[in-house]
Amino acid sequence: MVVDLRCDRVSKRYRVPGPRRFGSFVRALPNALAAPRHDFWALRDVSFDVTRGEAFGILGRNGAGKSTILKLLSGITAPTTGEITIRGRLAALIEIGSGFHPELTGRENSYLSGSILGLRRREITERLPSIAEFAGVEAFMDMPVKFYSSGMYVRLGFAIAVHLEPEVLLVDEVLAVGDAEFQARCLRRIEELKRRGVTMIFVSHDLGAVEQICDRAVLIERGTIAASGSAREVVTAYQRLTAGLEPIPTASEAVDDSALQITALTLLTAEGRATLTATVGQPLVAKLGLSAAAAYDDVEICLAFYDLERGTLLAECTSRRAGERLTVVPGETTIEFVIPQLLFAPGVYTVGATATPAQSARPLAWRFGRTTLYIEGNEPRRGNFLLPYHWHVSTTLSTLPS
Amino acid sequence: MCARDGRRVTIRRAGARVRRSTGDLGELAQYADLLRTLSAHRIRVRYKQSVLGLAWAIVQPVSMMLIFTLVFGRIARVTTDGVPYALFAFTGLLVWSFLSTSLNNATQALVSHAQLVTKVYFPREILPLSYVAAALFDLLVGSVVLVALLAWYGRPVTWQLLFAVPVIATTAMFATALAFMLSALQVWFRDIGLVVPLVVYLWMFCTPVAYPLSAVPERYMTAFQLNPMTGIIETFRDVILRPGAPLPALPIVSTLTAVVLLPIAYGVFKRAEATMADVV
Repeated sequence: MVVDLRCDRVSKRYRVPGPRRFGSFVRALPNALAAPRHDFWALRDVSFDVTRGEAFGILGRNGAGKSTILKLLSGITAPTTGEITIRGRLAALIEIGSGFHPELTGRENSYLSGSILGLRRREITERLPSIAEFAGVEAFMDMPVKFYSSGMYVRLGFAIAVHLEPEVLLVDEVLAVGDAEFQARCLRRIEELKRRGVTMIFVSHDLGAVEQICDRAVLIERGTIAASGSAREVVTAYQRLTAGLEPIPTASEAVDDSALQITALTLLTAEGRATLTATVGQPLVAKLGLSAAAAYDDVEICLAFYDLERGTLLAECTSRRAGERLTVVPGETTIEFVIPQLLFAPGVYTVGATATPAQSARPLAWRFGRTTLYIEGNEPRRGNFLLPYHWHVSTTLSTLPS
Repeated sequence: MCARDGRRVTIRRAGARVRRSTGDLGELAQYADLLRTLSAHRIRVRYKQSVLGLAWAIVQPVSMMLIFTLVFGRIARVTTDGVPYALFAFTGLLVWSFLSTSLNNATQALVSHAQLVTKVYFPREILPLSYVAAALFDLLVGSVVLVALLAWYGRPVTWQLLFAVPVIATTAMFATALAFMLSALQVWFRDIGLVVPLVVYLWMFCTPVAYPLSAVPERYMTAFQLNPMTGIIETFRDVILRPGAPLPALPIVSTLTAVVLLPIAYGVFKRAEATMADVV
């Protein structure tokens, strides 16, 4: 196993200067040592290795030190102590629109930003059509970007970064860029790079994405590593840490204490490949892992879809139809919900599940906030659902069959 | 696999310089396209949506030449060894404008790109370098005017004018070295950006730009000769205005300063690079 990226006891101290008045230069020279300063350790003794082809997640609350790690890894700033070793061509998947010059056209800015990110002119020329298409600005490439909408600006900036061909990729909160449709496209690209064996550092608040994409992860809290291990373990640790701050705090507790647990919830394509993205109208399989300490002879499993703004959209359960019951034996059980046609509108959804034995008034096992589904589609639409319908011009007054 | 073994290794260590298997210059070479794009961008942006366009490249030396010709040529009557004053002043001002444009712009290079510097890594020296390159382009445009002036005054225009190239190269090295140091200093002390234009302006009057070195009194001569720009301007004038005369050796002080200063300035810059994003 080749280690592509190694952080060895890395610490980073920021010096926050004390209040300084005018005449800084003259004052700074004699006072350089004595000036009131306040040290802030953004990172303390952080060590981890990322092997080739691995996707490594970094979780942490705001201000925990995630951004500092990324800045150190990408070389924007150097560590105060410790050492970072990187093998291979590194690139950061960040939105580079801030480097745009308003007077220059989209095409000119693409060359500029592309070369800032380390692409050669020839490489940019080759990828330009694809970049424009990814950003959805094909028709505006020769227009100065000062006439762009803010959405176009951000999308173009990001599309350039997406077209890098790195050996080590840093991904920082991509899912905060653009609309849901664009996010789904970005995520698909990340999954594709991962399949190609690109070593990846993934920072996101989207726990579902971290759990889906990453093999291992660390949890950073106040500048130190608070937990490390498989992505699943670390996501659980993060949820425990943020309990009380997250909207669905009781979920993880319920999972831990119950004799009945939902251990996994994975979304699969029709071909059986794990995925975070799906296309409107395509099939989707939701695969649940269930672990039971005892036998339950009638358990209702519900699969629920949530929208970030509107809450629960719909829940479908195993005992929806009379006579269908699920018997759970002690040990592991796997259940697949097969959805032949996905009739959700393009957007970001979270998927959750509950398990409720017949004798219990409330679910014994929960799983929420850890599985995200990005649905892509060609046309934006209002609302969340698609309704199969047809229309025609009617010549009679009564149109409903009686 | 061969390709795998050939991969770059980067080590970022404790506050000091970043060590790369390719070396600093190797890395800079990998980003050559960025330097080219960025320099072209400087030139393009400057003249976009302006009526005069490219002509702005020569506005500064030409307008300075006009006012100098009036003040020093007509009023103060500086003697220039038989060379028409306008031509005399323009040769000096062309080189000086290159230096002053380079330094005034490059000093702000890192600070004015703070958004980029804190967001993405690329070899930072490319920012000041791109301003020096853009100033070099202005000098090229100005050279066309210079040749036109030579022709206008009936001066010989021969291939020997190309001996100006090594003189300009020395100037560019010197300007680059100063640009590295000033831009890095500006990150920590914004005072630099305010003081540089003033110093460059005063420096011009202490350099034989508006007058010949022969007009300088004996007791100031040593000080003048220690000024690296003195040798550069004088040699440039000799090459341009006396093409028949034996070629002057490149002035030792200027060449030595440029050759010694550039690697030192680059080293200092790369060291500062490690933490400039924390401060800028």
